[in-house]
Amino acid sequence: MTVPTEAYVALSAALFAIGAMGVLIRRSAILVFLSVELMLNAGNLALVAYARHWAGFDALAGLSGQTVVFIVLAVAAAEVAVGLGILVAIFRDRSSTDVDALSGVRL
Amino acid sequence: MTGAWSDPVAWAALAPLFALAGALLVGLFGRRWPEPLPGVVASLAIAAAFVVAAVASVGLLGRDAGVALTLWPFLPVAGLDVSVGVVVDPLAATFLLIITGVGLLIHVYSIDYMRDDDGNARYFALLNLFVASMLVLVLADSLVLLFVGWEGVGVCSYLLIGFWYRQRANADAGRKAFIVNRIGDAGFLLASFLVAATFGTLTIADANAQAGSFAFGAGVLTAIGLLFLLAAAGKSAQLPLHVWLPDAMAGPTPVSALIHAATMVTAGVYLVARLSPLYAQAPAASAAVAWVGALTALIAAVAALAQTDIKRILAYSTVSQLGFMFAAVGAGAYAAAVFHVFTHAFFKGLLFLAAGSVIHALHGEQDVRRMGGLGRRMRLTGSSALVGTLAIAGVPLLSGFFSKEAILGGVWNSTLVEDYGSRLLFALLLVTAGLTAFYMFRWYHRVFCGESRLARDVAAKVHESPGTMTAPLVVLAALAAVAGYLGLPAFAFPNWIKSWLAPSLASVGALHPPLWVEWLLVAASVVAAAAGLAAGWWIYERGRGALAERVGGGVMGRFARDGLGFDAAYRAGAVSTAEGLAAGLAVADRDLLDRGIAAGVTTASWLGRAVAAWQSGFVRLYALATLIGLTALAVVVAALGGRA
Amino acid sequence: MATFTVLAVVMVVGALGVVLLRQPVHAALALVGTLLALAVTYVTLEAHFLAAIQVIVYAGAIMVLFLFVLMLLNVQRSIGPQRSLPGLRWAAYATAVVLATAVALVAFWDGRPAPDPAVVSLHLQGGSAAGIADVLFGELLLAFHLVGVLLLTGVVGAVALVQRHDGSAHGAPKAGGPLPAPEGPVGSGRGRKRGALAGGRRS
Repeated sequence: MTVPTEAYVALSAALFAIGAMGVLIRRSAILVFLSVELMLNAGNLALVAYARHWAGFDALAGLSGQTVVFIVLAVAAAEVAVGLGILVAIFRDRSSTDVDALSGVRL
Repeated sequence: MTGAWSDPVAWAALAPLFALAGALLVGLFGRRWPEPLPGVVASLAIAAAFVVAAVASVGLLGRDAGVALTLWPFLPVAGLDVSVGVVVDPLAATFLLIITGVGLLIHVYSIDYMRDDDGNARYFALLNLFVASMLVLVLADSLVLLFVGWEGVGVCSYLLIGFWYRQRANADAGRKAFIVNRIGDAGFLLASFLVAATFGTLTIADANAQAGSFAFGAGVLTAIGLLFLLAAAGKSAQLPLHVWLPDAMAGPTPVSALIHAATMVTAGVYLVARLSPLYAQAPAASAAVAWVGALTALIAAVAALAQTDIKRILAYSTVSQLGFMFAAVGAGAYAAAVFHVFTHAFFKGLLFLAAGSVIHALHGEQDVRRMGGLGRRMRLTGSSALVGTLAIAGVPLLSGFFSKEAILGGVWNSTLVEDYGSRLLFALLLVTAGLTAFYMFRWYHRVFCGESRLARDVAAKVHESPGTMTAPLVVLAALAAVAGYLGLPAFAFPNWIKSWLAPSLASVGALHPPLWVEWLLVAASVVAAAAGLAAGWWIYERGRGALAERVGGGVMGRFARDGLGFDAAYRAGAVSTAEGLAAGLAVADRDLLDRGIAAGVTTASWLGRAVAAWQSGFVRLYALATLIGLTALAVVVAALGGRA
Repeated sequence: MATFTVLAVVMVVGALGVVLLRQPVHAALALVGTLLALAVTYVTLEAHFLAAIQVIVYAGAIMVLFLFVLMLLNVQRSIGPQRSLPGLRWAAYATAVVLATAVALVAFWDGRPAPDPAVVSLHLQGGSAAGIADVLFGELLLAFHLVGVLLLTGVVGAVALVQRHDGSAHGAPKAGGPLPAPEGPVGSGRGRKRGALAGGRRS
């Protein structure tokens, strides 16, 4: 029997929430980044699940959903490249990746 | 309407326009003109007005009625049609001549007096503006236009009293004058409302005509009369609104001469004279006028005895003389009052200008205790001042004698206030006449006679004033000497001024006692004058002057010098109340408003700081905030059953 | 169903590992596990091409890049959540739980009838490359081009970011090589405490 779409959505939500938790909890910038990737993937999961759902009615809808995921993947890749480049540049300057210390705004 | 302009009498309506044009020219451009030009332009404007006034007066000779000219409609309201118009009749023409004639002399005098003053152009512009307003007041045919002139002279008076406004005292004096005047103005307005309600018109001639159809002594007429008395008392400095005039001496001396001796203060007398038909029908109101005048005359004369400032003596003297005029109009002797206005303008104007000449020569000294013996060094000023002194004292054959005699006779023989103590009024006025002679002798003697009490450095530089200042003095002295012959005692001689003014004034029947009584009255006033002068001679010339001055400096003297307690009473009553109220409001303003607003500010900044905590720069906090927002959204959608 | 449950459990465990594991490398590997499980999930969802791409690009390229940088920067065991903002941890936990619950509830309440698997297979054709290509070069052509531009931008940006401005990249190599002190040879982070590598506070 087919797993209902809602199950996948719930799973996606859980992964997203966990990723969000990670963003807030982790001190090191790289680990924050890792959590962000997790969140992205959770989103992808939801997209694919819905793509399959709507594919039951219309082919284009289903395939479009998967194509969007494809694009998201590409974007994620570019984002990671640039983000890690930024991180490296910051680390060069400060020798630290502590997120709290990175802020330029003083209270 | 256009045909009326061919009548030279109607040209008098142009007089205020000349003065106004002068005011505008000098006011707008005078600041850039070299020194005597503003004064010359202003004087020329007044000269033009004088010419027109003279032509109109000549034109009125031999006519029995004046010219009434409606210029344009102003307030065409149903039931009350007010238009702007002028009335040129003998009464108006008399005042026109006084205002423009004496005004011209004072303008010329001012050219040298106000030389090198920073506000030279402003002074002449204001002086012209004042003359324009006064002319409007005198020419007005309706109470509305009269009030316009009334207010105009009040404003100019305020501006000119406080002319040297950088000294606080001068500005305060101007403010005091304006506020006291304002009280009178309230009376004027109330009276006008009553007139409109009663007669259905605000045109003076119509109101006067209708007054005759009311019962003699009708309540509404009395009410109107009393309210106009309030207005006149404010403008003419009568009890209890006289307190502003002595302080008004803070202005330049020519201003005191023009406004506070010759013209503005006589506006009250003019008002009552204009409304004489109304007052003639309201004996109670007339009696009030007369009594106010007599009491003022006496009290002011007493106050004048104790003054030490050369101008304040004259100021109280003016108040006193105005009291005489009020007594006359109250008693029904309207022509006598106007005659006294006429002669008073000459000798009081002369006295003020002489005082100005002295002040100018002494470089600002105004305390008579530091003057003396100036008659030897300033011959022209001294002799013209002597003429003025004798005239005001009522020395026979000078103008003051004739006009004062007319007033005294008119009061004694009055039928209008016969039941209100006319004989007692006469007695008060007679005593005042004696006091007048005495204090004026004192004035003259302290300034011009005896040994010099001048400060050393001032004494060295004393000299006679320049020609433009002494020429008006001479002219006024001549007028003060001979003008009286226009109004010889009516019982025995042709009284020209009475017949000249008759068409404009109500005729009130007078008693006609036997001839010997009349001559006795004349003698009484001569005796009073003589007694006053003799007393002055005995005290001052005979060397008891120092003693007298010490008496004057005692408790009673100081009481008199401070205006017999009126200023103190007003200060305790009205001024303190107002200041207390202001202080109370200041507390409310400071504590309620300022603290309240400060509390608001504190709250706002507290709120700001609280919110600023969100801008900590702490990235994880931002992230948390974002997440919370997203969660909230999800919760809301869930709460709505999944369908948003 | 069973497949789904297993995969779900793996993914959640892996996610928790990413968030909670102390050693950064362990966390990265946990994520790799999650991603692989995700790829299998895609397969069950008739998205075969995507599954392949997921493994190749995400788990294969992106995670490898992560690991490279982790080792390059020699990130030591991360300091646990400190008291920099008291309550942040619990706020995060609570919010996350609420969020997940809310979304799940919405999904379940707004449930639609599950699609017919036969129809799905027909339409998706297993999510083959051909099908995706049809859409990518047809319907979403503009997006495709924009992604191309984005990737170009990313490349340029990444290069610009790591470029050195003191010219040493083109001149003689400095002593110690192109890598900045105080990193020593890759992996020998132990004992190299100076330079505040352990994420100590600075400024």
